[in-house]
Amino acid sequence: MIVAGIDLGSATGKAVVMKNGEIAGAAVLSSTTNPHNTAELVLNQAIEKAGLSSINQIDNIISTGYGRLNISYAEDNLSEISCHAKGAHWMVPSIRTVIDVGGQDCKVISVSPKGTVLEFKMNDRCAAGTGRFFEAMARALCCGLDGISAMENQGDDPCPISNQCSVFAESEVVTLVNDGIKLEDIIAGINMSVASRLTSMSRRVGIVDEVALTGGCSKNLGLAAALEKKIKTKIVHLPYDPQIAGALGASLFAAERLELRLQNEKEAVNQ
Amino acid sequence: METNIESEAYQTFVEATQTLNNTELKNWKRDGGKVVGYFCSTVPEEVFTAAGLAPFRMRATGSTNTELSDACFSNINCSFPRHAMNLALEGEFDFLDGMVCLNSCDHVRRIYDNWIRNLDTHFVKVMSLPRKVEQPQIEWYDDEIKILIKDVEESFDVEITQEKLNDAIKLHNEVRELQKEVFRLRTVENPPLNGVEALNVIVAGTAIPKARYKVLLEQFLKDMEGVKGKGGHRVRVMIVGGELDDPEFINVIENEGALVVTDSTCFGTRLFWRPVSESYDDPVTALANYYIFDRPSCPRMTGDQERRMDFTLEMAKEFKVDGVIGERLLFCDQWSVEHYMNNNDLKKAGIPFLQIDREYILSGKGQLSTRVQAFIETLEGKGIKYEEVV
Repeated sequence: MIVAGIDLGSATGKAVVMKNGEIAGAAVLSSTTNPHNTAELVLNQAIEKAGLSSINQIDNIISTGYGRLNISYAEDNLSEISCHAKGAHWMVPSIRTVIDVGGQDCKVISVSPKGTVLEFKMNDRCAAGTGRFFEAMARALCCGLDGISAMENQGDDPCPISNQCSVFAESEVVTLVNDGIKLEDIIAGINMSVASRLTSMSRRVGIVDEVALTGGCSKNLGLAAALEKKIKTKIVHLPYDPQIAGALGASLFAAERLELRLQNEKEAVNQ
Repeated sequence: METNIESEAYQTFVEATQTLNNTELKNWKRDGGKVVGYFCSTVPEEVFTAAGLAPFRMRATGSTNTELSDACFSNINCSFPRHAMNLALEGEFDFLDGMVCLNSCDHVRRIYDNWIRNLDTHFVKVMSLPRKVEQPQIEWYDDEIKILIKDVEESFDVEITQEKLNDAIKLHNEVRELQKEVFRLRTVENPPLNGVEALNVIVAGTAIPKARYKVLLEQFLKDMEGVKGKGGHRVRVMIVGGELDDPEFINVIENEGALVVTDSTCFGTRLFWRPVSESYDDPVTALANYYIFDRPSCPRMTGDQERRMDFTLEMAKEFKVDGVIGERLLFCDQWSVEHYMNNNDLKKAGIPFLQIDREYILSGKGQLSTRVQAFIETLEGKGIKYEEVV
């Protein structure tokens, strides 16, 4: 059985192809202004990596993410909340809390032992604490996203930075730069401010071990370290790219639905 | 927004909800009637009916920007008063003969200050609503209502007798009873009206002169008799929140598959679920008791959260809801902590809760849809229904 999940996010498109319950191919691409194109490009890459030649070889596809309604060949769509929970739980079944930091959203998801969503909290309608925020900060500091992430750049004395608004935080950072504050302390301050925002969201849901960090921003090592300090618990290392958790979850749902359909068909024949 | 309700009365409700100066109000004015606008559902609109005036609950329906009002508000003020004031400055409320404001919150009460400086409406007053819900506050509000009655009498040259007040209370209670009847149609598995339609019915009741609205409501209930039940929804939800008068917001939720079956909002059940007591000798005492204590309160009232939660649970049970959606206008301080408490209390009661922050004018539909879809998926067997099979 070959299935796929496509996660069309605000910043990147992700696709996962699974063969008989194992990840056969995965791809991550920057989103284009055309969601159809992004989906096609990223899915084709995943198909190629899985050693397949065509979308026709895939038995079922589920879509998720902001562009989830734009994929006509998907059987159905599900929210990225359900998909991230499912994907992260599949990677490490002992996970009970998923913190997903994407391009324009961040969310904390409480996960059941079965991998379903018990409760979730999402950021209000503001880009603070998301990938867009880090992009703006990297621009202001001319250090790139890698510069924000690198552990050697996490200063010992993080500057307090407003976690309210990306635009104002950017001006705040510009002021700090002009005041001659050490770059490392500003970077540590930026990561700390996002971590503290995620912590208060987590407190509304309640943090239950073990905790996973997913989404594009999970690659920010500085953020992960700051978050561990704030929530006072270790973040589990995921055995696969945490950015594909949503697409992986979607492909797992695609497999479940297909199995159910086949089972129902079999029962109908037997009757 | 599609509907399968074939009813002229319903079309009138839709028109009244989508506009401010609606046809029924225009007819009322054409016949020499006067209209008094009021902010907040704690203003005793029975007083206006008793004075022969049509009460009109203020909204900002149709507003598209806040260019004019942002000069007198700030951008961390709630979007509702900013849009409402903007419409006022554009002349959209020129049909009003009076406007009564209340210190319902620190954002809305500033409308009074801005109104008296910028507009020359014939009658503009502000009432003072106390914070607690005990006997001294009932007496305080009793005084406030008496002051309002005197002001209305003087400004409109009318006499508001006890008899007229009793008649107004009776009429408003009859309307409340009919509204309850409409809402009770939604307790069944496939209700004949959805959340969008129910909101249209209730908002119209705050914009059409009461006696006329009562006739339309009776007609509407008759028209509802043969209407087919709505199917196809995945879950039943209740909305808890404040100033929600926009059917489009409900429409986004219902399009995702969550049928809105009841609410605790101030354009919803809190307006009509409890009647004004008709057993007091003095109708003003009855009104004071009603607006301070008898009806479900708004979170601006201190020390009353427990009773508010009891009311939410009562509604959730009667209407068999799967989950509760808490809505809050951005920057609303009353509802922010209230929803935190709602979340915790509902969790204890085993009812999942989703909080949505919104702007007065619907925006960010994609983000709203995502949250609602995820909530529905959470409600459906706490995951996905077919999971047990696999």
